[in-house]
Amino acid sequence: MLEQLLIFTRGGLILWTCKEIGNALKGSPIDTLIRSCLLEERSGEVSFNYGAYTLKWTFHNDLGLVFVAVYQKILQLLYVDDLLSMVKQSFSEIYDPKRMRYDDFDETFRQLRVEAEARAEEMKRTKQVVKPLNGVKKQGQVSKEETKKSNGEKKDDEGKVSSVSNGNHKMEDDVANGKENSADNNNNNNNSVGVDVSKLAKLRSKGVRGRGGLRKADSIGSNKGSSKVEPPKKATKKNRVWDDAAAAPKQEEKLDFTDEHGDNGHVDVVAAADQGESMMDKEEVFSSDSESEDDDEPISDEKPEAKKKGWFSSVFQSITGKANLERTDLEPALKALKERLMTKNVAEEIAEKLCESVEASLEGKKLASFTRISSTVQGAMEEALIRILTPRRSIDIMRDVHAAKEQRRPYVVVFVGVNGVGKSTNLAKVAYWLQQHKVSVMMAACDTFRSGAVEQLRTHARRLQIPIFEKGYEKDPAVVAKEAIQEATRNGSDVVLVDTAGRMQDNEPLMRALSKLINLNKPDLVLFVGEALVGNDAVDQLSKFNQKLSDLSTSGSTRLIDGILLTKFDTIDDKVGAALSMVYISGAPVMFVGCGQSYTDLKKLNVKAIVKTLLK
Amino acid sequence: MENLEDLKLMVEQWTNQGPEYLQKIPPFQLYAAIGLLLLTTVLLLSFRLVRRTKSNTVLLSGLSGSGKTVLFYQLRDGSSHQGSVTSMEPNEGTFVFHSEHAKKGKIKPVHLVDAPGHSRLRPKLEEFLPQAAAIVFVVDALEFLPNCRAASEYLYDILTNANVVKKKIPVLLCCNKTDKLTAHTKEFIKKQMEKEMQYEKLRASRSAVSTADIANDYTIGIEGEVFSFSHCCNRVTVAEASGLNGETVQVQDFIREYIKP
Repeated sequence: MLEQLLIFTRGGLILWTCKEIGNALKGSPIDTLIRSCLLEERSGEVSFNYGAYTLKWTFHNDLGLVFVAVYQKILQLLYVDDLLSMVKQSFSEIYDPKRMRYDDFDETFRQLRVEAEARAEEMKRTKQVVKPLNGVKKQGQVSKEETKKSNGEKKDDEGKVSSVSNGNHKMEDDVANGKENSADNNNNNNNSVGVDVSKLAKLRSKGVRGRGGLRKADSIGSNKGSSKVEPPKKATKKNRVWDDAAAAPKQEEKLDFTDEHGDNGHVDVVAAADQGESMMDKEEVFSSDSESEDDDEPISDEKPEAKKKGWFSSVFQSITGKANLERTDLEPALKALKERLMTKNVAEEIAEKLCESVEASLEGKKLASFTRISSTVQGAMEEALIRILTPRRSIDIMRDVHAAKEQRRPYVVVFVGVNGVGKSTNLAKVAYWLQQHKVSVMMAACDTFRSGAVEQLRTHARRLQIPIFEKGYEKDPAVVAKEAIQEATRNGSDVVLVDTAGRMQDNEPLMRALSKLINLNKPDLVLFVGEALVGNDAVDQLSKFNQKLSDLSTSGSTRLIDGILLTKFDTIDDKVGAALSMVYISGAPVMFVGCGQSYTDLKKLNVKAIVKTLLK
Repeated sequence: MENLEDLKLMVEQWTNQGPEYLQKIPPFQLYAAIGLLLLTTVLLLSFRLVRRTKSNTVLLSGLSGSGKTVLFYQLRDGSSHQGSVTSMEPNEGTFVFHSEHAKKGKIKPVHLVDAPGHSRLRPKLEEFLPQAAAIVFVVDALEFLPNCRAASEYLYDILTNANVVKKKIPVLLCCNKTDKLTAHTKEFIKKQMEKEMQYEKLRASRSAVSTADIANDYTIGIEGEVFSFSHCCNRVTVAEASGLNGETVQVQDFIREYIKP
């Protein structure tokens, strides 16, 4: 049974709730829906799960209203979409911006509900074959039989509507035809965190694996990508022990090449590195020039669609601005926008989802006068992008450091990521920046796998003159981290920066080791280091990391990725889309941006500049 | 090169002819034209000056869930209707307070703006700051301690905003939800906020993402002393309110102090 149906304005005022079914909802599903779905630009999705409830929604963009239906997850109500669209239609007839109470709508709603339920019963009875498609059949959705399983999210090439939004006027036709739904593509959008399980399965089937060994060959001297996954072929080579299995001491000795006496010739103190102010503290001079729209592109987009309505009437409408935006109007503009985003290195599915969300928020809206459709779409997309890239919570590290200092414990930051993205380099940059703000830093060398990792950190520590905690190679990183934190508490360091080994997101034993490290030490900040050069793989990396961290977490709090550090930003000119993909899929804000290879090359993310570059 | 010479010649000719032409115009018309020009410039300037001092925009800001939307409707209609959810867009309205409807005479309406408190929608607030004549910062007195840090960061951002500092926009720290039993008092909240602002000051520079291009390079307070709201150059006062019950007298008085009826 329906638990609740709400109508509220975009400004937050509740206009009408169903009084018949006045069950109090457990928790606050509506607020959570708004915060983790609608404001996260996921309004293109079909439904949202919260606790024991499933929520479905639809917008009336012209009047600025939102209609939300809440029902029990275990019940698979088939008439909800139908009901929502009918409610939307009848409510918009009686809506008046001055009126705040709509008690007369109760009667109308009761009738509509009875009607919808009856229709659903009807549908169920007329169905001959009930295919058990993953056990979930959403009746009211539009879906074409041509949609392939792996491309469930893509729009049909013939320009017909795909199966994502509710309340579509075409829905009645399909329901009447009794088409079978292959609604598997909309099943598992279950997560308020952003990890999408169905996506992972789809990605695997598409054959998108983690980056191959070839690309990694030029990275910071590590061929771990190939050597880790393949078992050693020669009999003479000893197996690298990379999980928690206790290694025989003899093996440890042989493979541990750390020189106890320090490197020869570098025992003398190196002059402290002082390269001036870190770029974090410099405000970026952002010249806000006026919006430059390319006049060539939009006109060519509108031409093919304008044939339908006639060129004159579309120009007329764009001047008077009376037209209600239809899906068919928005499609060409959205398609062009999606292509543009993809040329800027945004992952394809992210661009798709964003376009769907923008479409959901624009459909039915009245065009303002003297604006083209493309400029309206562009404006909506710009707003959406700014909203996504603006952090959800404060990302002020200094504040947190001082708060931890009050509690007399060190602030622990763990750097995780795949191979060769620049964790150690950027760790040193962050240490430099913190040091400039008079925070005492300590490094912990928990990368006990890669040859030279400990020496690398040791060199940085010597140049920056900060203490480093190291235990050499072939030790358990979780234990090393724990001891490092204890040492930091003892000698009063404010911050501990923990460097971990790079690992591929598919590598099960390594991910297990990582989550062991995080569970054991409970760091304050889990920073995912990702490079700006990555393309679609960013989505895979982040979602898998998050998923593994949540799956393998022990009782208590589940720690996920708290922030993103974007590296190698200076190597991409304007293809800044990786930032958007990463933020969208994980919900974590970008805290630092690494833009060079010296200590001062660390800066903050300038949201407006990035949005401008993305939409240029 | 020849073209340049030609151009020079033409320009010289025009400059020679100019004064002759001017003298040919009857003096009356000339004076009339100049007079009109001067008049319009003077009028435009005076309008600009006059308009600037009479902004009647009041901004309702605060964290998500502190009760701004309820307060907005309470001030406007005298009731909070059927409740509210997290706002996705600002609520704006130009009106006379509901309690002032009974008063006779022409009362100046207030342009009240309720900006969403969700952090992702922070840029929306910054759009309205330049035109604000007063700011009401709403704090949830019931759930104060868990949100204390976020609230003080937000308030610090507002108090160090360039527009606020330059125009000395007065701020009211409004403790909402005081109708509940376990709500904190306004004195307690004021002290806590001052303490938290002290931490905000401690940081030499903020590592927050720049959400707008308005540089927050103003610091508030006096060096070496514990921060207190009296150190701000703009007035910061504290008041209590209850959105659900309709006790908004203190807020209304504050607003009316700066927007004379």
